[in-house]
Amino acid sequence: MTDVVRTGFRPSRVAVYGVLLLAALVYLIPLFIMLVTSFKTPMDIRTGNLMALPTDWTTIGWTKAWSEACTGVDCGGIRGYFWNSFKMTVPAVLISTLLGAFNGYVLSKWKFKGSNLFFGMLLFGCFVPFQVVLLPMAATLGQLGLANTTTGLVLVHVIYGVAFTTLFFRNYYVAIPDALIKAARLDGAGFFTIFFRILLPMSTPIFMVSLIWQFTQIWNDFLFGVVFASGDSQPITVALNNLVNTSTGVKEYNVDMAAAMIAALPTLVVYIVAGKYFIRGLTAGSVKG
Amino acid sequence: MSQLELRSIRKTYPGVAEETLKGIDIDIASGEFIILVGPSGCGKSTLMNTIAGLETISDGSIVLDGKDISTMEPKDRDIAMVFQSYALYPTMSVRENIAFGLKIRGLPKHEIDQEVERVADLLQISQLLNKKPANLSGGQQQRVAMGRALARRPRIYLFDEPLSNLDAKLRVEMRTEIKKLHQRLKTTIVYVTHDQIEAMTLADRIAVLKDGELQQLGTPKEVYNTPANLFVAGFMGSPAMSFVPVTVEQGGQGLYAQVQGNNGSELELPLPDYLSDRVGRQVILGIRPEHITQPQDQKNDQTLVTKGEFTIEVTEPTGPDVIALIQLNDTNVHCRIDPEHPVTWGETAELMFDMKKVVFFDPETEQRIAPH
Repeated sequence: MTDVVRTGFRPSRVAVYGVLLLAALVYLIPLFIMLVTSFKTPMDIRTGNLMALPTDWTTIGWTKAWSEACTGVDCGGIRGYFWNSFKMTVPAVLISTLLGAFNGYVLSKWKFKGSNLFFGMLLFGCFVPFQVVLLPMAATLGQLGLANTTTGLVLVHVIYGVAFTTLFFRNYYVAIPDALIKAARLDGAGFFTIFFRILLPMSTPIFMVSLIWQFTQIWNDFLFGVVFASGDSQPITVALNNLVNTSTGVKEYNVDMAAAMIAALPTLVVYIVAGKYFIRGLTAGSVKG
Repeated sequence: MSQLELRSIRKTYPGVAEETLKGIDIDIASGEFIILVGPSGCGKSTLMNTIAGLETISDGSIVLDGKDISTMEPKDRDIAMVFQSYALYPTMSVRENIAFGLKIRGLPKHEIDQEVERVADLLQISQLLNKKPANLSGGQQQRVAMGRALARRPRIYLFDEPLSNLDAKLRVEMRTEIKKLHQRLKTTIVYVTHDQIEAMTLADRIAVLKDGELQQLGTPKEVYNTPANLFVAGFMGSPAMSFVPVTVEQGGQGLYAQVQGNNGSELELPLPDYLSDRVGRQVILGIRPEHITQPQDQKNDQTLVTKGEFTIEVTEPTGPDVIALIQLNDTNVHCRIDPEHPVTWGETAELMFDMKKVVFFDPETEQRIAPH
């Protein structure tokens, strides 16, 4: 035991930390470049070094990206699209997570004839590539009258996300002993009471997993956004693409970088806030099932 | 009053060829402590779940106080259950755990508080009421689980192997507590265990199950002294009863059976008269360790008592006794010997055989041969 504790300064340790440090650096360099570039003036960018700190710190890139930059013909910044993304992501994340929790509850604690087959087929949904569903989904949204609306996008993301959230919750609930459900039934609790009073309060870790996963997936989605939304209802990922690809005028890298940072911030915040549950929830779910 | 009748309960799971319960009949009197015992897979837990309503029955009926409850939902049966894993709601405090069932049944708050206090006092868990289950020891969780069952004052209590998750010392303590509690509250209890000592110590009556069939239903004494068949005889008692195949023979003094030790020694064991119609045939002699002891002078002249010399193969001191292993007709046989009367393995010792309580089984049917 004492040998293990008295590690001290050893070459192998140095090597391990060296490699880790290097890996961290490699991952951090793009972020660093984005950040410093977003605070530079266009002049600074053209003349200066990519890695250098701004000679002249300015937030003009950020304010311009937020409220003035042109995405295609519209020049109101990415502000509107940022909120579009929220209007799409928040309901889609919540609805798909709640549905997944409910599905997981039924598939693990109230098994019916063929429930395992049902679960297997649902899992299949995790592996269907986005591109495959584009055309049928477009037709369906058109028939429902939801084409080019945020509601339509929410629907698409809920449908696509339910496979994953069900998998998360089902595996989490499988590890919870059935005796708990039996005890609650004998205590007089019904189907919904057991779900809301017993299981949901136990689900914080897997809830966080589902929230982070779904938030990241839906916020970062580009393909569904570019196909199923247009004009005013486009999410920020599409707007960012339009902003960067705008061909008129001079290329404003500071604005591009600031816009990209703004687009990435919410997922970063969600991960920092709920991250500690992420690992815990993933490992908890993987114990059994 | 809460009398429970199980009438030819049958249970078949879909896709399973063999029946899990093959027609179980048990009448449980009000206030009776009945224990279902058997090896794993014998159907005892299934039977308990059907009583609770957690599983449906395929045939038969469950009658509680004259009312058929076979098709009722668990919540309408007025039955409480204590689980092996305790099944406490982890996000709720002890108080909330106990109150949960009462709250769902819509009791007014002051009555719930009163009931929680009563149960907490009864089980001495008042100081734990605001803790979460995760912060309790195994024994404390066990008490809370019992408290949750007691709180509703149900008509029947079901205990599903409640002590199996406790360590040996605590198990014995809780066993005594449960017995005390039953003596105080006079409740009807159905208790499942695979531990035959628990069954012997707690039960008013024991129901021994095997392969979904009731093997014997009787008081612990009946089950121990007059087991219905080889299975029950081998299941109850520790160390287990030894089974020696012998042939019944007629001698001048009465019936006897010749047994042979591994050292070549032979002994004629006297047999009771009721075996007279089996002279010349084989029977299985079921002998418990306490029937073979060191020579006891006060028994010397009793009938059905004899002495012989056998080689001790193994000795296992348990404290109050030494369990010694000998061989009779090539079968291992356990003897219970006073530690004050030392025997050594590998050496020959004189042993006294008391045949008065020995039982006999038919080798074909495996049923006990009853005296007539």
